[in-house]
Amino acid sequence: MTARFVRTQKEMEGRYEDVWALVDESDDVRTWAPDAELSLVGQPAPRFDGMVRATGRARYTVDVRLTGMLHAAVLRSPAAHGRVRVLDIEAALAAPGVRAVIGPESELSLTRSSPLLAAEPGYAGQPIAVVAADTLEAALEGVRALALDIEVLGHVVDAREAVNEHQFIGEPADDSRGDAEAALAASEVTVEVSISTPAQLQTPLEPHAAVASWDGDELIAWVSTQGMFAARDELAAAFGLRKDAVRVRTEFVGGGFGAKQGAGFEALAAAELARITGRPVRLVNDRHGEMLDGGRRFSTQQTYRLGATRDGTLTAIEAEAVLAMGQGGWAMPTLVPARTLYRCADVGALSFPARTNLRPVNAFRAPGVMEGTTVFEQAIDELAIALEMDPLELRRRNHADVDQASGLPYSSKQLLACYDRAAELAGWDRREELRTRTGDGLLRGMGCATQIWWGGGGPPSHATVRLDAEGNAYVVTGIQDIGTGTLTSAQIVAAEELGLPLARVRVVGGDTRHNVYGPVAGGSQTTPSVMPAVRSAAAKVRKTLLQLAGDVFEIAAEDLEMANGRIRSHDGAIDAHVTEVTEKLGNATIDGSGSRGPNPDGFVVHTFGCQIARVAVDPGLGEVRVERIVAVHDVGRIVNPLTASSQVEGGILQGMAFALTEELVVDPTTGVPVNGHLDDYKVPSIADVPEIVIDYAHVADQNLPNTGTKGLGEPPIVPTAAAIANAFAHATGRRAAALPLTRSQVLETLA
Amino acid sequence: MVELQVNGQRYQVEPAGRRLLAVLRDELELLGTKLACGEGACGACAVLLDGKPVNACLLLAEAVAGHEVVTIEGLSGGRAAAVQQAFVAEDAVQCGFCTPGQVVSATVLLERVPDPTREQIHEAMAGNICRCGTYPKIERAILRIAGGA
Repeated sequence: MTARFVRTQKEMEGRYEDVWALVDESDDVRTWAPDAELSLVGQPAPRFDGMVRATGRARYTVDVRLTGMLHAAVLRSPAAHGRVRVLDIEAALAAPGVRAVIGPESELSLTRSSPLLAAEPGYAGQPIAVVAADTLEAALEGVRALALDIEVLGHVVDAREAVNEHQFIGEPADDSRGDAEAALAASEVTVEVSISTPAQLQTPLEPHAAVASWDGDELIAWVSTQGMFAARDELAAAFGLRKDAVRVRTEFVGGGFGAKQGAGFEALAAAELARITGRPVRLVNDRHGEMLDGGRRFSTQQTYRLGATRDGTLTAIEAEAVLAMGQGGWAMPTLVPARTLYRCADVGALSFPARTNLRPVNAFRAPGVMEGTTVFEQAIDELAIALEMDPLELRRRNHADVDQASGLPYSSKQLLACYDRAAELAGWDRREELRTRTGDGLLRGMGCATQIWWGGGGPPSHATVRLDAEGNAYVVTGIQDIGTGTLTSAQIVAAEELGLPLARVRVVGGDTRHNVYGPVAGGSQTTPSVMPAVRSAAAKVRKTLLQLAGDVFEIAAEDLEMANGRIRSHDGAIDAHVTEVTEKLGNATIDGSGSRGPNPDGFVVHTFGCQIARVAVDPGLGEVRVERIVAVHDVGRIVNPLTASSQVEGGILQGMAFALTEELVVDPTTGVPVNGHLDDYKVPSIADVPEIVIDYAHVADQNLPNTGTKGLGEPPIVPTAAAIANAFAHATGRRAAALPLTRSQVLETLA
Repeated sequence: MVELQVNGQRYQVEPAGRRLLAVLRDELELLGTKLACGEGACGACAVLLDGKPVNACLLLAEAVAGHEVVTIEGLSGGRAAAVQQAFVAEDAVQCGFCTPGQVVSATVLLERVPDPTREQIHEAMAGNICRCGTYPKIERAILRIAGGA
């Protein structure tokens, strides 16, 4: 391998950093041509581990059982803000079966920038102490024996109040360009929209969980995480270990949706208690703990003032967002839609990351951009109403041909085609007829919204492929498949490149021991990062195999090709099963490794799309029923249409619930959430599902290495709530000042 | 001690106030039945009690003595196998954590109503939450079996 380092830009959920990328100069794999005849890529394939999951044989972190394993229980703050007065650690240690207790004052072997346990908790649910005992029941008894007494201090629920008092996480951000104020004043038509969005909980059904076990100074941790390498690095840093002394296993993850980044509190606490006790320790959140401390999407209050000419050209955007951050986290890019979705030179963009007494905000599927789109795209519809213009036409007219923030071209953008296809599938031209039919007493309407997100991935990502004498390939990746089916996508890409049937390709991930790196399952980056590495590794194996085949058949390797498990010469004279060559390997194997190349210079990489929702509103009951959603997304080449459509459906349903039912409700007098359970925090059931119609732009991104694929985990959730809210406004002629559109919110809006 | 009958086997267990789910998972190591909410709100712990789907998280273990319990591990043949194959073929499986419970409920539905309508599917399956949102695929999987039966 001829290698060199190149400087390249890496993006994760809108945050860019310059990194060194290791480039394999001998990697000559070119991006598949748009019209390349591929036999497996692009064809629907059931996930290879589906039956393991469907029969209940999949072992998640919560299912790990080790000899001598202890169970940990967490004492969480009952107050939104308080100071621990009494914590009886001795009494807890004396409780039957209790083996270890750690609290805010305990001397720990791990080091961390912020305390693991709080003496002055800043939110209800914040961990104060952890007890490890022989059984979970004994650990819970130990928690009770701690007899916590806490002095309740003042709290802030209302983010606006925090802004007024200059209580921020970090600094307010000004991402303005041009002179929006002057442009707005000069605009022929203006609208103003203020809408708030709810705190939505990720609610993975497998809660945050970890099992930690030490062998001398080596740590093995099963972690329910989206980032096993990040978890490994975090644990190694916390305990002062070499990275290769920590092994993180993440074979099956019961959902994450952004909430499970790195090691998390659970793995750190379990590893600490395992170190103290010399026994494996299991720490699994109970549901209430998960709802309080698993994570959430921040609630926002957003205001947009838009200006346009009478012919519908956007001339000014003023955007302001107040983000209820809780006690920390990063201010996710809520105003990116306002800044980049449409062509506009004069944009004011102010965001205020308010410090409130909830858990630090963390990522939830398209964090920031989804919330921003939800309100900004409603403002665009209000502008269309003010202009008496078709909302889709207004969007087409203001299409951004280049990235509005940087001025750079897009690597690929098929948004206009998405608009056309979505309109066709939705029957957009008959939209106004919906409002005239009133036979069932329901008000119907149709609304659209545009999607922008990143999803281009980047280096580093690695893969290895090993072909054995029986003609079977073994692919090692750094993927932790949290339910997306990316391991199966890797199987498809490897089989395509190798020219083998799917059944001859086995793919693994979920274990850092191989040190074959893959990125965190976030930012829609797994597919565009890992698939090119898998393809490169497979290409090397294919090349070597054909060289060996050339020797065996006494023909130049260039005259041979692989397809469907057979080696053929271009002239048809040779047509042999792959094993006719590989059987000569004996116990030797053909090995190849591949890595993800850098992103193209001079482009920005985004995904795009359009969704159109049709709703029916019962004005008497205040019930909103989503009847149909059309989704058309531009995500480059689709590897597996079967699992891709599952991502689209899942994103739409979570976006629909954000629009209609989901909201963490906090009691303003106590600052404590009142619906931290699954029976009062309403996630969708099968009975809530609308008809969902899906299509794609079907254009591979030729500027991306080497599969032309982009990520699809996040794009589908971005425009759903906005499309539903716009359909609601179309149906009723009213726009709600807040989501979700609960019955009381709807009745208030219609009153 | 009480005697439990699970998947056709008899077990002597000390219920000690525990829920059936805790006994299944922690004592019998039948780990396919999942604990997701423990509040009877999600169906991840669905098992069959005398052929009817119940949430094992809300049942006291001693209350099921003398009754027949079947978990996902005991549902391997016949209609359940067809349900599992259809779930995989239609990709009604994402993270898979809720899937055993979904399979239990879908199997019982199809035994009761071999050719269910969409409404019957929604009614029978509404107690099984899937946070990944596989619902459209679950519906298709059930209809696929009904159509092929």
